[in-house]
Amino acid sequence: MKIREKLGYTAAGLTVLAAVLTPFLLMTGLFTKGFAALGLHVDEMYSGGPKVRTIKTGAYSIDIHRPVSPHLLQSEKPFVQLDWRPVRALPAHVSDAVDVDGDGRPDVRVSFDVPKDPKTPLRVDVEALNPHYEAMRDVGKERFSKLIVRVDDAILVRVPLAPQ
Amino acid sequence: MATEARILPPRVPAPRTIGRSVLLTLPIALWSLLIFSNSFRQPNRSVQIAGLLTAVFMMALFFMMMRTWSTYRWRRWFFVALGILFPVGFIHTVMVMRGTMGIPMEEMIAGRTPFCFMPIPLLILPAALTRTVVFPGSILPGAGMSGGGIAAMFGLWLAITIVVGKGWCSYACFFGGIEEGVASVPKLPKLRKIDPRWRYGPWAVLLAMVLLSLALFEPAYCMWLCPFKAVSEYVAARNTLGLVQNGIFIVLFAGLVIVLPWLTKKRTQCAFFCPFGAFQSIFNKTSVFEVKIDRTRCSPCVLCQNACPTMSLTEESIAQGGTLMSCMKCGACVDVCPKHAAVWHIKGTEVAVKPERARLMLLYSAWAMAVMFGGTIIAQGLATLLHVFI
Repeated sequence: MKIREKLGYTAAGLTVLAAVLTPFLLMTGLFTKGFAALGLHVDEMYSGGPKVRTIKTGAYSIDIHRPVSPHLLQSEKPFVQLDWRPVRALPAHVSDAVDVDGDGRPDVRVSFDVPKDPKTPLRVDVEALNPHYEAMRDVGKERFSKLIVRVDDAILVRVPLAPQ
Repeated sequence: MATEARILPPRVPAPRTIGRSVLLTLPIALWSLLIFSNSFRQPNRSVQIAGLLTAVFMMALFFMMMRTWSTYRWRRWFFVALGILFPVGFIHTVMVMRGTMGIPMEEMIAGRTPFCFMPIPLLILPAALTRTVVFPGSILPGAGMSGGGIAAMFGLWLAITIVVGKGWCSYACFFGGIEEGVASVPKLPKLRKIDPRWRYGPWAVLLAMVLLSLALFEPAYCMWLCPFKAVSEYVAARNTLGLVQNGIFIVLFAGLVIVLPWLTKKRTQCAFFCPFGAFQSIFNKTSVFEVKIDRTRCSPCVLCQNACPTMSLTEESIAQGGTLMSCMKCGACVDVCPKHAAVWHIKGTEVAVKPERARLMLLYSAWAMAVMFGGTIIAQGLATLLHVFI
């Protein structure tokens, strides 16, 4: 048997072995750990970016995320995400002036109703108290950069940043 | 090579003995029982029965492959079952979990969009350049319908690709079975003349979608062109744009997966459109298994060329003793060849010297993967159907 032939059969044998070992490797989470080690993250246009600050407001809190900027030709505007949680602690109508950039002065006033039925569509009004942010009037789920949605135990509002 | 060559019936060798076929099936039988042993322990009876039926189904098909020496005919049963039962199980799951096949924005933001393999080639450039995954899913387990996350699907894809290369499209893809099933219905093709330049279609779509995904930072193929959105899940139509997107999915599905396979008896979506298939073709270069044409036996009658569902055999490739890199190792050409000139081959070995050894090694690898991945999906779809009756 030539060396090339031996190598061919060895490779084929290893392939059979790889096929048999795959489910066990999957169960140990080896692939997942390897993939996670690459340090990748889901696009912030979907995830909303990392949380940078939390404002406590009585029974509930407002999480403020880092502003998200679109990539290349992405058809969204830059935005900042604010999370109100937990939903069960929110009053029937929320109207909060929020200091988004942490300079001690409110930047936007966000107002929305909190329906008891979680399937009821949400609408939000945002008054811009700082020209760095865009006002929104009766907005639902228009775009990833301009919306109000309920996700699990939080109500998320994304406020677009005004063009500089 | 005359395209009007006389159609010769394939020379069918005497079947293997039952005892020897059983012996060769034994490893796969044990493997199937191991993979589905978890189903047998479930309290739900429909899950138990579905697991048992699927295990028997996979064993029976492998037994028939051993007994009859034929690959394509029996693999097709598995593949069509996978293509039909994947949407059944998947649609049932999404309807139960969120009440609609449309993906709501909330699910995308929460990172709960199930990740299928199709966007993998589209994610590579954005991930390499910015470390960003342009898909509204979750990287780690615990999210998505299956709870697997992007990393798990990526690992599974990598493993199957290492094992069978583009054989993914014959033993793992849970979409291709629909068109393979449709293509197998008519006895003869109604549309015989297909411009060979259509073969470049998947490469063109791949290039366009990779660049568009990088520019728009979204999985462009999933957003705009995937025909299988029509039978899985789609972008919830919030506006006119969403309606246009869903219209495109339906038209492409009807055209490429139903009408054209029926007319041509080819897997037209796979052969002329699928960017993932083009991407997988690259891994045929790294796979150890391939199909070769033994020129000393080839007449040539072009039966293999006509039988190939993806037009991966041309006069030139036959003359050179092989297939194009788009060959998905389905075995149609090997089964149909009356002279046994089309053979399974392990790279580095002599062509047509021990083709059955090459076939067995390919089938053990590919079928082990098929049982683990496709078999599990079949069992899930079957359990959904059985749940109606039990």
